[in-house]
Amino acid sequence: MDILKRHNVTISGSGDRAMVFVHGFGCDQRMWRLVAPAFEGDYTVVLLDLVGAGKSDLTAYDPVRYNSLQAHADDVLAVLQALNLRGVVLVGHSVSAMIGLLAANRQPERVARLVLVAPSPRYLNAPGYTGGFEPADIDELLEAMDNNYLGWSGTMAPVIMGNPERPELAEELTNSFCATDPTIARHFARVTFLSDNRADLPKLRTPALLLQCAQDVLAPLDVGRYLHEQLAGSELVVVDTSGHCPHLSAPQAVIGAINHFVAPLRTTPL
Amino acid sequence: MSEAHEEPLPELDLRLTQDNLELLYDRAPCGYCSCLPDGTLVKLNQTLLDWLGYPRQELVAYRCLQELFTMGGRLHYETYAAPLLLLQDQVRELSYTMRCQNGATLPVLMSAALVRDADGQPLVMHVTLYDITERRKYEQELLRTKALAEEQREQLARANEQLLSKNEQLTRINSDLDNFVYTASHDLKQPIDNMAGLFGELKQAATFHDPDAVHMVTMFDEALRQILSTIRGLTEVVQQQRQRQQQPEEEVALLPFVEEIIRVLQPMYKPHATPFVLDFSAVPTLRMARSSLYSMLSNLLSNALKYAQPGRPPRIRVSTALQEGQVVLSVQDNGRGLDLSRHGGELFQLFRRFHPDVVGSGMGLYLVNRLVHQAGGRMEVSSVVGEGTTFRIYLPQ
Repeated sequence: MDILKRHNVTISGSGDRAMVFVHGFGCDQRMWRLVAPAFEGDYTVVLLDLVGAGKSDLTAYDPVRYNSLQAHADDVLAVLQALNLRGVVLVGHSVSAMIGLLAANRQPERVARLVLVAPSPRYLNAPGYTGGFEPADIDELLEAMDNNYLGWSGTMAPVIMGNPERPELAEELTNSFCATDPTIARHFARVTFLSDNRADLPKLRTPALLLQCAQDVLAPLDVGRYLHEQLAGSELVVVDTSGHCPHLSAPQAVIGAINHFVAPLRTTPL
Repeated sequence: MSEAHEEPLPELDLRLTQDNLELLYDRAPCGYCSCLPDGTLVKLNQTLLDWLGYPRQELVAYRCLQELFTMGGRLHYETYAAPLLLLQDQVRELSYTMRCQNGATLPVLMSAALVRDADGQPLVMHVTLYDITERRKYEQELLRTKALAEEQREQLARANEQLLSKNEQLTRINSDLDNFVYTASHDLKQPIDNMAGLFGELKQAATFHDPDAVHMVTMFDEALRQILSTIRGLTEVVQQQRQRQQQPEEEVALLPFVEEIIRVLQPMYKPHATPFVLDFSAVPTLRMARSSLYSMLSNLLSNALKYAQPGRPPRIRVSTALQEGQVVLSVQDNGRGLDLSRHGGELFQLFRRFHPDVVGSGMGLYLVNRLVHQAGGRMEVSSVVGEGTTFRIYLPQ
């Protein structure tokens, strides 16, 4: 299958340089709709769905291949290659912050700037490191996901929408916006929340912006400080908002911070 | 609709209309709360406070709704419900578990709507929570049963796979065995034939001085004959199998077919005293591979002749009948009979022999039984020692 189709790649805007947005755990590229359009004037804006999410090719989700975040990073690089893009601004949210970092480490020439939105290199606590979670918390998350897959939840949308005798069901599913296949979501949750990318941090040579929320249970301030220390030359901006999705809760602040960070690129040739 | 056009209300108990909204909000059988867009609680109804066991002042302005969920629920809220609310202004029927002040848990179903201000900025969230304690138990049971069913399905699939591979293995071994037997019998036949020929020459050319020599030569001849007969039998067993795979089934008229077999067997009985009685009036034809039928009948008929009761002329009745939609082909003799209670189980085994005084290779009945099974049929035997034996072959029509 065509790689662009596999990732439901959508391209808008115009500009010599591209800004590529990668969504995090729990939703898809539509998460960027309050932020991405702001860059269409100066950039070619590229949105994509990770395999297993949104309108990507769900059949391509091989649990063995996607047992590590590196596979998703390789996918992102494959999209960049298919579009013949170099020196992009790569914006990754949540788990895709680390996916972006892995991509930049592997092919630095493709990524000129890295924007990490609500990032965390490891969610579980470890000796000398506070990720914020214990393994039992992740089990609870998986349980909460299971409880929401039992039939009344919009996550059943793919099944119910396939029922031609009851088309009215599809319209009623208000939670279907970020619906994914429950088995895939469960696997991706496990891969996300059990990942540990601390060792990959010092390898980064790409200038990075850390965008953190003032109150975010998934990426607490301690984690932001840790990342800032480990990523030499990184900038840390704490956005005055709470929750894990500043691009939805405080889009203007996110746009402003990215604009400020990438401003030097205007005078840098590709 | 303006009030002027409104129909007058029907007569109702006035106490119902006096039910004030504040009371309804506070005492409704579900939890209500209002939150800032980040989840900070600004208003809760009494029902929810009662469920959770917190005093109002500990929650309002101090705690977020998602902080009252279990950690896993909170993770789900932050990564799923919160962005969905901002994207589409509402979520419905999300399942969470709340943690009460005393540490107990409360399973709830949450629906929430986001209200925006005049500029379209998120202003407040209205949240409804339903206690689903009983329903959750039922769901847990459903989930548990589903997991069990999936596990069993996997086990079954694994067992099935093993069975298939075992089956393949057996089929292969079986075919290897057939090939081996065929090759072995073929390879043995040539040197044995040579030995028989050489021995014949030797008998004529050589002179034996030992008085026992004549007896030994006879025994040697007998041994040669036996080994040749065994090899022929083995070859026939395998060849039948091979031919069956190649030979088509056809409609065989039984009367001329059996008469031809009887002609071949003629050296085994006295001419002008044919012991055979044939009756194929019930089913005159059979649909089978010709060679299979030939081997079956020729073995059964020659057995019937071989194992005749000494001193009693053999009578052998070959007949067909229809029984409950099946064709029954019977061969009934008045021979020595067999003690089936002793030998019944071994009757169709290869190389099993029950009358050592009569020449045979021990392969006839094995071959017949095998051919009958290959034709989709089965075989029955009844026998009385000293009176006779009846073989019945049941074949599908």
